[in-house]
Amino acid sequence: MAGDCGKWVVMVTAQTPMNMSVIKYWGKRDETLILPVNDSISITLDPDHLCTTTTVAVSPTFDRDRMWLNGKEISLSGGRYQNCLREIRSRATDVEDDENGIKIAEKDWEKLHLHIASYNNFPTAAGLASSAAGFACLVFALAKLMNLKEDRSKLSTIARQGSGSACRSLHGGFVKWIMGKDEDGKDSLAVQLADEEHWDDLVIIIAVVSSRQKETSSSTGMRETVETSLLLKHRAKEVVPKRIPQMEEAIKNRDFASFAQLTCAESNQFHAVCLDTSPPIFYMNDTSRRIISIVENWNRYEGTPQVAYTFDAGPNAVLFARNRKTAILLLQRLLFYFPPDSFFGLNSYIVGDKSILKDAGIEGIKDVEGLPPPPEMKDSIPSQKYMGDVSYFICTRPGRGPVLLSDKTQALLNPQTGLPK
Amino acid sequence: MAGECEKWVVMVTAQTPTNIAVIKYWGKRDETLILPVNDSISVTLDPDHLCTTTTVAVSPAFDSDRMWLNGKEISLSGGRYQNCLREIRSLASDVEDKENGIKIEEKDWEKLHLHIASYNNFPTAAGLASSAAGFACLVFALAKLMNVKEDQSKLSAIARQGSGSACRSLYGGFVKWIMGKDEDGKDSLAVQLADEKHWDDLVIIIAVVSSRQKETSSTTGMRESVETSLLLKHRAKEIVPKRILQMEGAIKNCDFASFAQLTCADSNQFHAVCLDTSPPIFYMNDTSHRIISIVEKWNRSEGTPQVAYTFDAGPNAVMIARNRKAATLLLQRLLFYFPPNSASDLNSYIVGDKSILKDAGLEGIRDVEGLPPPPEIKDSIPSQKYKGDVSYFICTRPGRGPVLLSDKNQALLNPKTGLPK
Repeated sequence: MAGDCGKWVVMVTAQTPMNMSVIKYWGKRDETLILPVNDSISITLDPDHLCTTTTVAVSPTFDRDRMWLNGKEISLSGGRYQNCLREIRSRATDVEDDENGIKIAEKDWEKLHLHIASYNNFPTAAGLASSAAGFACLVFALAKLMNLKEDRSKLSTIARQGSGSACRSLHGGFVKWIMGKDEDGKDSLAVQLADEEHWDDLVIIIAVVSSRQKETSSSTGMRETVETSLLLKHRAKEVVPKRIPQMEEAIKNRDFASFAQLTCAESNQFHAVCLDTSPPIFYMNDTSRRIISIVENWNRYEGTPQVAYTFDAGPNAVLFARNRKTAILLLQRLLFYFPPDSFFGLNSYIVGDKSILKDAGIEGIKDVEGLPPPPEMKDSIPSQKYMGDVSYFICTRPGRGPVLLSDKTQALLNPQTGLPK
Repeated sequence: MAGECEKWVVMVTAQTPTNIAVIKYWGKRDETLILPVNDSISVTLDPDHLCTTTTVAVSPAFDSDRMWLNGKEISLSGGRYQNCLREIRSLASDVEDKENGIKIEEKDWEKLHLHIASYNNFPTAAGLASSAAGFACLVFALAKLMNVKEDQSKLSAIARQGSGSACRSLYGGFVKWIMGKDEDGKDSLAVQLADEKHWDDLVIIIAVVSSRQKETSSTTGMRESVETSLLLKHRAKEIVPKRILQMEGAIKNCDFASFAQLTCADSNQFHAVCLDTSPPIFYMNDTSHRIISIVEKWNRSEGTPQVAYTFDAGPNAVMIARNRKAATLLLQRLLFYFPPNSASDLNSYIVGDKSILKDAGLEGIRDVEGLPPPPEIKDSIPSQKYKGDVSYFICTRPGRGPVLLSDKNQALLNPKTGLPK
């Protein structure tokens, strides 16, 4: 190790996207290595709207590994963090920072400590699976810092040991997490099925549903399901293996009707096995179910699916519209049934790609109040509205995989001290 | 046929209970004969609290079959009514009313018409499966009127063709509907596992949950599940057969822990299969889920189940408490979370066996307001209450099967005209 003094800091900042599964992961066959009972498929969301940013730094002056999440220091002592750090460190290679005359030899890494700062641009309370993006970012950033030679799929096996679904955030576009057969989990990894340009018509609207409920954590929930649901084994063994190739085909051919049928059926079956658990797990609430009804009514009225829905371990709805026009019609329906609170207004009610509001002809509260009932509800009794049941909406699209951020102003740690800015 | 004039009327009045399935019937293998894909087991409820009363009358003066349900004339032209009437008529034998000098020979029945009046003492809107009690009563009453020689099980095979679950209302206590193997359905009938005295500790509390939703009908819903749920086949073939045997054992041994575990698991699995249907069917709402959580928390804190819950095709909770004391403690918990509107009288908030209120020390609204939070949630954040989410409660118990009512005041038709009183 050479350098002017032992006070140098080497830093790398990366940004990783979130992903949303369309064929669900629920149930492990190995709790420690996080190996699933079936394959899963996901869509990576645009990190411009939802992402984790992580800065990792190494310096001889750091006396221990430390991490800050959204500004608050957290413990790295848990098994999942320890597994990721160990796996990454064991693959570290030589690093040379010619600009600053710093050289780290492979053997040096085990003696050096790390500072890690991570930040999600979406609130944890929104229930938007922050640990997936988080662990993916951690692994990706550390791999860059420590000059790992492994490819993204190999890195995904390390991220997987932090959080199962994190492995799918190592790629953009459409991703499959292969369950693998090996006991050591080396073949349980994520591969890219198609990149984010492959099907760029799709528009994604997320309804962040108001909920006071504390959810059952995914880890606890899926373990209880494995232990007590008599339907889960059948699902994992007979149902999912047939749906995986069907979904791969639907994605390959941009066949929205098949994509939607599979996505909705998968989401509902996942929640079905949660209900078949003892004690039963309820992630969706009345608002979630109302959103499903709105979509189902519209899809049936049009004769071919316009929108697919999926729900994870929480009440939020992730809605996939076949194209921009459909997304606009969807947004109009959603705002009709879930108008914003007239006091707070529209501006913070739709986030992400806000331009969709203008495309929908909605510039202010008056435009929302003027929305007509959807045609498919014409003969029904006057519609009830549910103001306040949705906290806000996020409009996004399929997006790219992890990237390095070269702009030093985006680093979350001070380049001199290695402490959070 | 002899008699002083052709204006005679022969009448019979019967009363039948309703029943609640603890191992669920959901899915037919034959839509016309109403043959199910699995066995089911039910508990018959006390007709003192919930029942159907039916008067059937025959007279040469009647020119067509007619029926009145809850005072309103309804059509008998549907397949289900026609099937029941045809089957019963084909089994009719000689009838002699010596007192009035009336004789009806077997061959006369096909030329005679019937008047039928039926009345449920519980509102249809309560979602308490009125058609089960209704068809059972119709078949039982007609069998008496026409002097049908068959036993209750044979009669259940006829009631089954009106409404599947009706067959189970031909007996009191604990009843099993054997799915049968024959294509003609002759072996698909109900048998009594144990009578209502066998396990008379049990107390049943039904929460009639407020709901504006129009439910998917059972007939439509179960057909959609058969057509679209990939989990249903597995349930019917692999899971229910085992549960049936376990449940029979639990009932025989008055083993409440097993009874509760099976009842709750089967209710949840039935709703899981509904969720796994396309489009998904939601019978339970947030209030139903809250009731499940209340029961699950209490059961777990006691270490052994105190209360079993089950839900049919609607949001109402049917709770079965292991004994009177547990029912009292359950009622206190339910009234704590779901207090009556202070305006309404506590008197109409609990119906059926109202004496349970006194046993629970609840004589007026002040006692309800004074209820402490249940011990098992002591450490949680202050409890939210859900006033108005439950319309009312019914307190009942397992009960007897169909009976004839000899008191002529209880007849629903005028003995001279054969028209509704």
